[in-house]
Amino acid sequence: MLIGIDVGGTTTDAVLIEEGKVIRTAKVPTDHDNLLECLISPLDDIIRDVPLEKIERVVLSTTLITNLIAEGKTDPVALVLEPGPGMNPDDYTLGDEVHIIRGAIDFRGREIQPLDEKQMKNVAATLADRGYEKIAVVSKFGQRNSAHEERMKAIITGVSPKIQVEMGHQASGWLNFPRRAATTMLKVATQDRYRKFAAEINKAISQRKIKAPVYILKADGGTLPLDKSMESPVETIFSGPAASSMGVMALTPPDQTSVVVDIGGTTTDLALILDGKPLISSTGAKVDSFLTHIRAFSVKSVALGGDSIVRAAGDGVTLGPERAGPAFCLGGPEPTPTDAMKFLEMIDIGDGSLAEEAMVGLGRELDCSAEDVARKVVDVAVETLVREIDQMFLAWEQEPAYRVWEVLQKEKIRPQNVVGVGGGSLGLVPLVAERMNTTGIIPENATVANAIGAAVARPTLTLTFRADTERGVYTVAEDGTSGEVRDRKMDLEQAEDMARKLIVERAERLGVGEYAGEAVVTHSEVFNMVRGWSTVGRLLDVEMEIPAGLISEWTGGGR
Amino acid sequence: MTGKRMGLIFFPAFDWSISPTHPEREERLLYTRDQIFEEGLMDLPEVEEYKPRLAELKDIARVHLCVPNVEAQVTDAHLIAAGSTLVLADAYMDKKITNAFALVRPPGHHSMRVAHGNRGFCNVNNEAIMVEYIRRKYGIRKVAIVDTDVHHGDGTQEIFYHDPDVLFISFHQDGRTLYPGSGFMDELGGPKAMARTINIPLPPETPDEGIHYVLDELVLPILKEFDPQLVVNSAGQDNHYTDPLANMRFSAQGYARLNEKLSPDIAVLEGGYAIETALPYVNTGIILAMAGLDYSHVREPDFVPGQFQMSRTMKATIEAIVQHQKDAWDRRDELTDTAVSRAGPFYRRKKSIFYDTDMISESQEESVRMCPHCSGYMTISSRASKGYGTSDRVFGVFVPLFACHRCREEAKEEYESRKTDSAFDYIYLQDKTADDYRCYSVHEKNERVY
Ligand SMILES: [Zn+2]
Ligand SMILES: [Zn+2]
Ligand SMILES: [Zn+2]
Repeated sequence: MLIGIDVGGTTTDAVLIEEGKVIRTAKVPTDHDNLLECLISPLDDIIRDVPLEKIERVVLSTTLITNLIAEGKTDPVALVLEPGPGMNPDDYTLGDEVHIIRGAIDFRGREIQPLDEKQMKNVAATLADRGYEKIAVVSKFGQRNSAHEERMKAIITGVSPKIQVEMGHQASGWLNFPRRAATTMLKVATQDRYRKFAAEINKAISQRKIKAPVYILKADGGTLPLDKSMESPVETIFSGPAASSMGVMALTPPDQTSVVVDIGGTTTDLALILDGKPLISSTGAKVDSFLTHIRAFSVKSVALGGDSIVRAAGDGVTLGPERAGPAFCLGGPEPTPTDAMKFLEMIDIGDGSLAEEAMVGLGRELDCSAEDVARKVVDVAVETLVREIDQMFLAWEQEPAYRVWEVLQKEKIRPQNVVGVGGGSLGLVPLVAERMNTTGIIPENATVANAIGAAVARPTLTLTFRADTERGVYTVAEDGTSGEVRDRKMDLEQAEDMARKLIVERAERLGVGEYAGEAVVTHSEVFNMVRGWSTVGRLLDVEMEIPAGLISEWTGGGR
Repeated sequence: MTGKRMGLIFFPAFDWSISPTHPEREERLLYTRDQIFEEGLMDLPEVEEYKPRLAELKDIARVHLCVPNVEAQVTDAHLIAAGSTLVLADAYMDKKITNAFALVRPPGHHSMRVAHGNRGFCNVNNEAIMVEYIRRKYGIRKVAIVDTDVHHGDGTQEIFYHDPDVLFISFHQDGRTLYPGSGFMDELGGPKAMARTINIPLPPETPDEGIHYVLDELVLPILKEFDPQLVVNSAGQDNHYTDPLANMRFSAQGYARLNEKLSPDIAVLEGGYAIETALPYVNTGIILAMAGLDYSHVREPDFVPGQFQMSRTMKATIEAIVQHQKDAWDRRDELTDTAVSRAGPFYRRKKSIFYDTDMISESQEESVRMCPHCSGYMTISSRASKGYGTSDRVFGVFVPLFACHRCREEAKEEYESRKTDSAFDYIYLQDKTADDYRCYSVHEKNERVY
């Protein structure tokens, strides 16, 4: 048996799955001040009278990190940057406590200016004085050579052993210094509170005598053992939309191209599944005001939901962006799209006579019948969603390309399916699909698709390997590890073999070794370094991943 | 926010090279990629990254007479580099961006009107293709192209040599000391476009100070007077003090400041082969300067401010060059009148052109009608020897964008009548007024229309 629980913005959903079938579901309103209780009460609901030894897996997806950051409840972190030559570091917006240290590493990982240790010591003393317990140290190109970051950490620890220091190269290995700095900062700012939360979950689970492993869902649709997730809890941000997309993957036929439409109260989340693979944001998620390196599905949030206020404007209507409460037909104060759909008998919730009252009132303002105005509301909602979906595909087509083949191969893709999930106004989905000339799908259990997605998601993992044979070193970006390369003539095949070995080790370390076999090479490239007219070495880049996917235990739905 | 919104296409063509160890190889913009991505420049609100596209064959034919046809002279990489400039041109003309930088390869400024092969790493001329696309599509007329590459932009010069509406200014290391061995002060343009070509051959080892003197005293004042509707920077980076192919002493700071002062509407990358020691820093500097951001922290690891000083002699030499070209510019109308009256009804000249990369020797005979109403239609007969005794003989007829009726008619007659001339293998018509480009095979007796 599999258990999935998704703590969403409005509701918390739980499912119990047995042999590929959803056998129980539960739904409670989310109480943001008591997330643990929210998780536990639907869990208790679905495991009642279930033989606990039959539970194989529990997967959680929570808004904890999102809330901590949105509410400013993260721990204070000081940022120490070694930017070297380039942009004026004052032009980065990375918070209030930012210190700049002299020293520099270049793009090949060579030291071009020694670290100013004296300056570092002074800054460390100042920060200790100011009471900082957490410091993030980040060098430009620190992922190509971490020596300065290690040294900075040692100096700070020397000044005050109590201070926790997080190094940029261990938070992210990708190019983009300001994003790496923000990611490092958020990583260390959320660790403590998350650790406490995770401990409470562990306690609650063991009190219930559940022996199954507990996983947490990440923003890239992958699961990670709860214990391992404490390293970098910030990766669990935005797991809700990821859960919905994974749910759609689980509930629709494999290898298709679908738009996931998750209509909530005030917003609709749109995500894309291209040929069966969820589309990942190419640069990283935006968290609050920070651009980061956190891998996340490419999700577009549209300010339109079932509870959006409908207003008369000219001879038409406008929807949203705000919400005044529930729909009029559910006792709310203002007319909403939900009322329009109820009135047109597209959905079956709320009080029909209240819905009629809402539409008649609106119709009076526009000098037309209740039916006409209800159709107008639905039309505007459908048009808005169709336009936003089109723009998402367009944006995907317009992603930059750096190689000839990439420019030549990018074809125009349009969706086969529009899939509606979530609790909201699913009645819109078939209309959106019709307008786009595609198939509209509202899967069975669509309202708990997110919890299903969590329950059946498998682990994901990435590995970014780079070897510089002239310098005789290799680095693994995600771990911040490096090693020696002796063979100057290392070729791409050897590099890929090495990367494959390293991702297996990495998977073992993170407790997801059983999925290491699913790892694929997503990009591999070699550059000859020519100086004068002869080759002095090679740069070999290999990227691997275990992509988002479904566990083999899941046999229901499409696969 | 600086109020700037700069369009950027970064197309390093990581899968394209002339040959594995050639300076124009896959690795060329690799470290530039590392630096500008690590800086996070693509995330800045002042920078909008665009995706490249392929140029149409017609966009190439609008500028070049490709022998035997466009397809034979371009690879997909060339079409993408040229197409990238067109994407940015559209965004700029539609006012979606305030300025633009096409950080693309392969380069193009050594490609001339007639293209038999690769010259100086170039097959087709990206700037010229972009300028003619913009003039055709958006109806603007006056354009200035400033070539800041260390090599003379001989291809661009030749393409616009007779066009009084295109001001071409190139500063470069003196042609007596560097490829392509041209770009002297007496190359001032065709008779009807005198001093619309301004060459500034600089002594080897000229530092930032020298180039900024030229910029302040000559280039900027001329630009102001010419008052173009579009300013293009043909932005080579091989004036850098570490460039392996040239001997100048320009720095990343110097380049950034140049772009700040010149404030080009669109910059297009040309040469620059110090791929580790210069390009990452120079490109970061240019992007920051064009985005209106502070570039003062951009510095090469080994650069010491003030390390390159100008000698007295060098200073005097540069001042004399500036004075000489200032005079030429001031006397442009008089020079034009004299040259036109000396030429008679048709201006004729002979040229020989060498294609270093492909080892082709071309000899050309050019003739331009000295029309009182327009810049005049032109013909070129060209013969290219490719070794082993093989050669291509072609004849081209060119109608400029703002040609008068009579020039158009005469040009078309000339094209028709040449179709039976067995002295040539191919006959071409490039009619920019009608946006009509044709190629006729004398042997196969068929016509290709772009
Ligand atoms: Zn030049
Ligand atoms: Zn050059
Ligand atoms: Zn004429």
